[in-house]
Amino acid sequence: MGIKGLMKLLADNAPSGMKEQKFESYFGRKIAIDASMSIYQFLIVVGRSGTEMLTNEAGETTSHLVGMFSRTIRLLEAGIKPVYVFDGKPPDLKKQELAKRYSRREDATDDLAKATESGNKEDIEKFSKRTVKVTPQHNDDCKKLLRLMGVPAVEAPSEAEAQCAALCKAEKVYAVASEDMDSLTFGAPKFLRHLMDPSSKKIPVMEFDISKVLEGLDLSMDQFIDLCILCGCDYCDSIRGIGPQTALKLVRQHGSMESILENINKERYQIPDDWPYEEARRLFKEPLVVTDDEQTELKWAAPDEEGLVNFLVKENGFNIDRVTKAIEKIKTAKNKSSQGRLESFFKPAPVKRKETAHTTEKGAANKKSKAGGSKKKK
Amino acid sequence: MLELRLVQGSLLKKVLESIKDLVNDANFDCSATGFSLQAMDSSHVALVALLLRSEGFEHYRCDRNISMGMNLTNMAKMLKCAGNDDIITIKADDGSDTVTFMFESPTQDKIADFEMKLMDIDSEHLGIPEAEYHAIVRMPSAEFGRICKDLSSIGDTVVISVTKEGVKFSTRGDIGTANIVCRQNTTVDKPEEATVIEMNEPVSLTFALRYLNSFTKASPLSNTVTISLSSELPVVVEYKIAEMGYVRYYLAPKIEEDEEETKP
Repeated sequence: MGIKGLMKLLADNAPSGMKEQKFESYFGRKIAIDASMSIYQFLIVVGRSGTEMLTNEAGETTSHLVGMFSRTIRLLEAGIKPVYVFDGKPPDLKKQELAKRYSRREDATDDLAKATESGNKEDIEKFSKRTVKVTPQHNDDCKKLLRLMGVPAVEAPSEAEAQCAALCKAEKVYAVASEDMDSLTFGAPKFLRHLMDPSSKKIPVMEFDISKVLEGLDLSMDQFIDLCILCGCDYCDSIRGIGPQTALKLVRQHGSMESILENINKERYQIPDDWPYEEARRLFKEPLVVTDDEQTELKWAAPDEEGLVNFLVKENGFNIDRVTKAIEKIKTAKNKSSQGRLESFFKPAPVKRKETAHTTEKGAANKKSKAGGSKKKK
Repeated sequence: MLELRLVQGSLLKKVLESIKDLVNDANFDCSATGFSLQAMDSSHVALVALLLRSEGFEHYRCDRNISMGMNLTNMAKMLKCAGNDDIITIKADDGSDTVTFMFESPTQDKIADFEMKLMDIDSEHLGIPEAEYHAIVRMPSAEFGRICKDLSSIGDTVVISVTKEGVKFSTRGDIGTANIVCRQNTTVDKPEEATVIEMNEPVSLTFALRYLNSFTKASPLSNTVTISLSSELPVVVEYKIAEMGYVRYYLAPKIEEDEEETKP
């Protein structure tokens, strides 16, 4: 999942590219979120005890709906405008990784069976979490829920992370929120971590600015992608013996993957036979995404109250009081997001800020004093 | 080398009181022309701009432009230790990571030195373009403060509308509604008690009262306040500091939701 060790590497080498922000300071911002990742988390965490999950009367899981509903409301209440992006078809290269995940899941299923037999509660809990899988049904349920809540959802042709980054590049959203560091590798200009952590954890949001990260690392975007591939990504294995620190050193020293492969000590570092780094690089650089305005038009609408009650209460056994209260929250939240931000009126001043700032302020001051008339104070 | 001597030390105390609730940390920029600050609140809704021109200081020496990052709560703590009649001198050496505030009693029999650590603040500086405002209202600062305080006990937001009738402040909340109209009034004994309304175009904007209330902390700096409004711009609330400069606050308006939806 993501890029191995990148977080620590950035904290050590490019601290200027990341800063802590308050959750509250994101009101009015449009934020793209990888939906599939969120659903997976909900299935693991929400309302689970042992092998039991939250279900409706028909016995279908509802953890993902509970999670999606309450998290989205929390974001809306903070004045944030979320956009959920759903995974499409995984790229061929990821199939290897997916196959691995699949076999791990198989193993876990076996282990779970054994654990259930022996009745070891901890093991049951551990292994049942590992058997979790997001099905198309889960995705469809969530899409329906979001539509009823008036929150836009975008379907990515391939990777959701890549689509999120593309939305951010096209300035359709302010930032991408994810726990997965490869959003940065996909080139999302702004990337937020811990945005969706429960408020009880009190972890501040970590905002990454890709241009400052690159400046801090002293790398170009292409070199950064090579660095991420060397660290280990979802698309191809890493080279044994090369960790994040070594990877950074190599990229800085040699400049590109080709030159690294030429100069590296092949005895010491065994490069896997089938190592499709060029493919991986292409997936990060030119991922399959939709960019045309029609498909990525984002609209936040009023919630469909009746629809929500029907779907959540009647079909999925939610408590009616909770749902009506939540709808009230969505409606009040809509008011809050109308507060404007100064940046939408004033643009950041150019680097030589002092002179320019002074002249404009002075000019305004002169005009003001004329307009204001009498200046007798005190 | 930086050395700024301000005879009217209480002024600096008042300035700090007027901005410390809005902003936690800020860079003070010193140049040959003056001592200034620009900072946004953490949610980037409001901005404060301060200018104290060099002419207002008894002695002003600033060899090269420097920017000093300060925690305003800490700075306010130190300035609280100055007496109201004290003369305050701000001193900093080149390349030093501290700033010194020196307080001298008017009779020169007591001198206090307070040294404060500076901090590195990476702040965004916004360019504020010059603009013609649709309407400019000048009124007693105490009156404006009273209105904001009163209205915030009823509702969270205020609609400020200027028509040829006057300026209207209105709010609504769970318990009811409130409307306050101030008409132009120049027939007063003292000029600072006048209410002057200059209107090129009628304008009506909505603002969060929470911020306006924190702006009114600057009332002790000036008897009058100037409110400049334009339909496409943040409101400017300005308190002039006699002979020296100003504290100006900018506040982004609340935007009607439908309007935003139609934007591309």
